[in-house]
Amino acid sequence: MAPAIHPCELVEVLRRHHLTPAIIFLTSRRACDDALEAFTHEPPALSQERGETIRTFLETFSKDFPSIENHPLIPVVQAYGVAAHHAGHLPSWKIAIEELMRHGYLDAVFATTTLAAGVDFPARTVVVTQSSIRKSQDFTDLTISEIQQLAGRGGRRGKDLVGFVVITPSPYIDLHVLAKGLTGFPEPINSQFVVSYPMVLNLLKAHSLDQIEGLLAKSFAQFQLNQRAEIHQDNLDTIHSQLKPYGPRECADWITQWKVFDLARRRKSHRRPPMETDTPFVKACLPFLTPGRVVGVSKGRALILRQYRSRGTFTPMISVLKSKGTIGECHASSVTDVYDHIIEFQPLRGFPWVSPPTLTQLTQAITQLPARLPTVPILTQAPQTEETLLNDVLTDEFACPTCPSHPACKKDYAMASRLRIKSQQLEKTIQALKDGLWHQFQHKADILHKFGYLTSTYQLTQDGEWARLIRIDHSLLITELIRMDAFSGGAPELLAGVMASICHDDDRPGSYVRLSTGLSSMLSQVRTVADSLGAYESPPLLRADVAGLAEQWIGQPQSGWTALVRSTSMAEGDVYRLLARTLEFLSQLHGLRHTHPGLADSAHQAMEIMRREVLQELP
Amino acid sequence: MSHEQLKLELEHLPVRLLHALAKGRVQRHFRLGKRRLIEFFLSLPEDQINTIQLELQRILNVEQTRKELRHNLQAQRKTLKSLSLPTTSQFTRYPSDGKTSVSLTLEDVLEGIGIPEPTDFVPDSWQIEAVEHLAHSDVIVSAPTGSGKTYVAIEAIKQAMIANQTVIYTSPLKALSNTKFMEFSQIFGSQQVGILTGDRRDNAHAPLLIMTTEILRNLFYDAASGEIDLRLHTLGLVILDESQYLADPERGVVWEETIILCPGQARLLLLSASIGNPQELSQWLASIRPLPCHLIRHTKRSVPLRGLYLQANGPLVPLFQTQSITQGKGFTFHPDAKRLLSEYESKYLGRR
Ligand SMILES: Nc1ncnc2c1ncn2[C@@H]1O[C@H](COP(=O)(O)OP(=O)(O)O)[C@@H](O)[C@H]1O
Repeated sequence: MAPAIHPCELVEVLRRHHLTPAIIFLTSRRACDDALEAFTHEPPALSQERGETIRTFLETFSKDFPSIENHPLIPVVQAYGVAAHHAGHLPSWKIAIEELMRHGYLDAVFATTTLAAGVDFPARTVVVTQSSIRKSQDFTDLTISEIQQLAGRGGRRGKDLVGFVVITPSPYIDLHVLAKGLTGFPEPINSQFVVSYPMVLNLLKAHSLDQIEGLLAKSFAQFQLNQRAEIHQDNLDTIHSQLKPYGPRECADWITQWKVFDLARRRKSHRRPPMETDTPFVKACLPFLTPGRVVGVSKGRALILRQYRSRGTFTPMISVLKSKGTIGECHASSVTDVYDHIIEFQPLRGFPWVSPPTLTQLTQAITQLPARLPTVPILTQAPQTEETLLNDVLTDEFACPTCPSHPACKKDYAMASRLRIKSQQLEKTIQALKDGLWHQFQHKADILHKFGYLTSTYQLTQDGEWARLIRIDHSLLITELIRMDAFSGGAPELLAGVMASICHDDDRPGSYVRLSTGLSSMLSQVRTVADSLGAYESPPLLRADVAGLAEQWIGQPQSGWTALVRSTSMAEGDVYRLLARTLEFLSQLHGLRHTHPGLADSAHQAMEIMRREVLQELP
Repeated sequence: MSHEQLKLELEHLPVRLLHALAKGRVQRHFRLGKRRLIEFFLSLPEDQINTIQLELQRILNVEQTRKELRHNLQAQRKTLKSLSLPTTSQFTRYPSDGKTSVSLTLEDVLEGIGIPEPTDFVPDSWQIEAVEHLAHSDVIVSAPTGSGKTYVAIEAIKQAMIANQTVIYTSPLKALSNTKFMEFSQIFGSQQVGILTGDRRDNAHAPLLIMTTEILRNLFYDAASGEIDLRLHTLGLVILDESQYLADPERGVVWEETIILCPGQARLLLLSASIGNPQELSQWLASIRPLPCHLIRHTKRSVPLRGLYLQANGPLVPLFQTQSITQGKGFTFHPDAKRLLSEYESKYLGRR
């Protein structure tokens, strides 16, 4: 692997050229932590005095945020004037770093690129070491907007005359992507509108269907769709004007007439495809007559070895192994029964179609078949109506060949029909663009009706009335669980554990945490429900370890934050976010106090216990 | 003016200006250091020295005016605009097309680094424009990070508070909400600012409420179904910070819902980082809201940005052929950066 620049060297160069304070964007949290760690092998870089300033500042700060008192990184920050800032840290620590940066006490902060949007502190210089970021398993190039979001942190208004972006190469870098990002114009933004279940319920609670159609039409999504539709409309108008000269002739809709005529003529002129000679029954049978299938023929049972068509007449044929052990050929039409039984074997290209030893085994297998075998029901399709229609048409008196405008039509048909197909496609597209959102809404509403949250006329049912208050991800799963009474009588810590595993959508590796049997069985129940809802809502990860963490935090109110964090390999910041989100989910359950007092009460208890130490520092 | 004086004056000049002086007089002047450049100037025949002195005078005048302007911020923008055009074209122009073989030095890029002298706060014209237009229309501000959108928000809040209206300020992240909560509490006093999160309400009766956009959307849901527990009828202003989140694949829809459901009597102020199609956004707002929508598109960074390139064990070199990074003008890598990168790539990555 190509070396990236050593963090100490980097900061040293920045200091030497007065380019500090700097934000150094690195690819991962790990890289940020390693960079800090690298400094500890160097002699302290800050003067006693600056270190003292930082210490005093953090001391004052920890009066409001006790969680950062004795933070293990304080000595590094104090000695070297550098810090790391990423989602693995507690929010309070991140705020402390941001404040230190704002006061100009630090020389460099190592931060992850993914967090650039959530960072609200500028510096004189930003250092960029990558041109792509991981987005759901894949590395994608940074967009121009993202690069400018990063570069935008360089140069503080009122504190710097100029700002800098320093690019240092690493294996993750494509200089052209970055250069384009720095000098280009940001991309346009596009609507990402999707209809969600809570949206359907809440809109239906307060608005009539007509009003909702109007509201959806007001979306930016529809605005952009309309713009696209307009472009198509322009095309359509052009095509319509091109179609004018091909207006009505002898018959009002000569293009359709001609199409029928043309099709019919072509059909007739072609030799009928041999397939057509198959009777509907044979046609329906054919897919089942595969090697290994047991069938009934006139002289008892047989096993199909291969299916083929005869060279001359093209009739479907099969090679079969009969119960006597002989191999024969017969017409597919001579099959009387198709049994629902298959004997697997390895087919061969040439006669006898299987290896001789297998042949003996197969013969045995046929003789040992039970006397009664279920048959496969064969559904024969009615002969296609369109064909008869065509045939009728051709035999009937068909106007075209004798029509006076026949030559003109013949000449124009190709062009006219192409134009008309295009115009029909465009009309469909435009319609789809105009109705898309409304259809999405109806689709979701139909599902909600199916589950009983809406009546057939899209009125909220009793369940719909409270379900609309659950406005979080996986709302369908949660409301279904509530309807099943899955939580009834459950202790607060169980409820919180389940909510934690539903709300946590991060797939960073966690660690095994002991969870109670109660919670464990509850989780597997939740998993079954989630899977059964899979067609309507993508199931959550339902990690057991995060459920266990939440259970532990609530089940043992005396235990402290440090103990909790020590019991998992998850980063402190992740644990915080998990619990904060769980709190949010629980508070939605608490909102159901009028209809589900027991559940709401349990949620409330859990929330009360959860809010302690770090978890009550910030609103 | 004696040679001695001239020499002193020249020594005071930044290299950038010396190169500008040398352009057209000295071949391959960019190869010369400061000392050799000065030596060269002094060795010129008398008549040429005179023209150099004249030009030097002009440069000094311009520099002087610039300095004065810095003290006189009020006049700064107007005058600098009219002044800086001729000056840059005469003296400090660097090849932006990269065809000329003149290369920037590291000193050129680092030139002017430092802290500006403290000045009184004078709002930019676009900031004033934004606040003024809020009186009679919705406003979208699209401006680069760090250009001062918060000022617009603060002034707008002040106006609304004077009119006894409720203001809601939303941000996409809880962390940003917290930062803004602290910032606004300092400005307006903690009695005036409340914060709502998914599970907590602090000071929910304050005239200025901070929340994430999801929470506001939920409030609008409740208001529509008649379960108002906040004073939506006094709602006068809704500020959506970081509105470019509208394009977020997962959460973007919440911004649309919020905007669609926002009561007509409240003004909308959308603050967004630079985006490619703000006019489209503004047309959309205008088409669905009772009031017109005023778009403020500010593209120029307030602090110029310059590019540098650095690799392990290597020198710090300019990244581009131009001193500052400008939008929409294309780019040419600095030869040094190009050379170093290709060394790096062939050495470590086996690329050519
Ligand atoms: N007109 C101005 N003159 C000088 N400094 C300003 C002006 N407007 C804003 N600033 C300063 O610019 C900095 C960045 O402003 P901020 O509002 O945080 O940027 P944004 O929200 O656009 O990213 C702040 O420190 C602010 O005080």
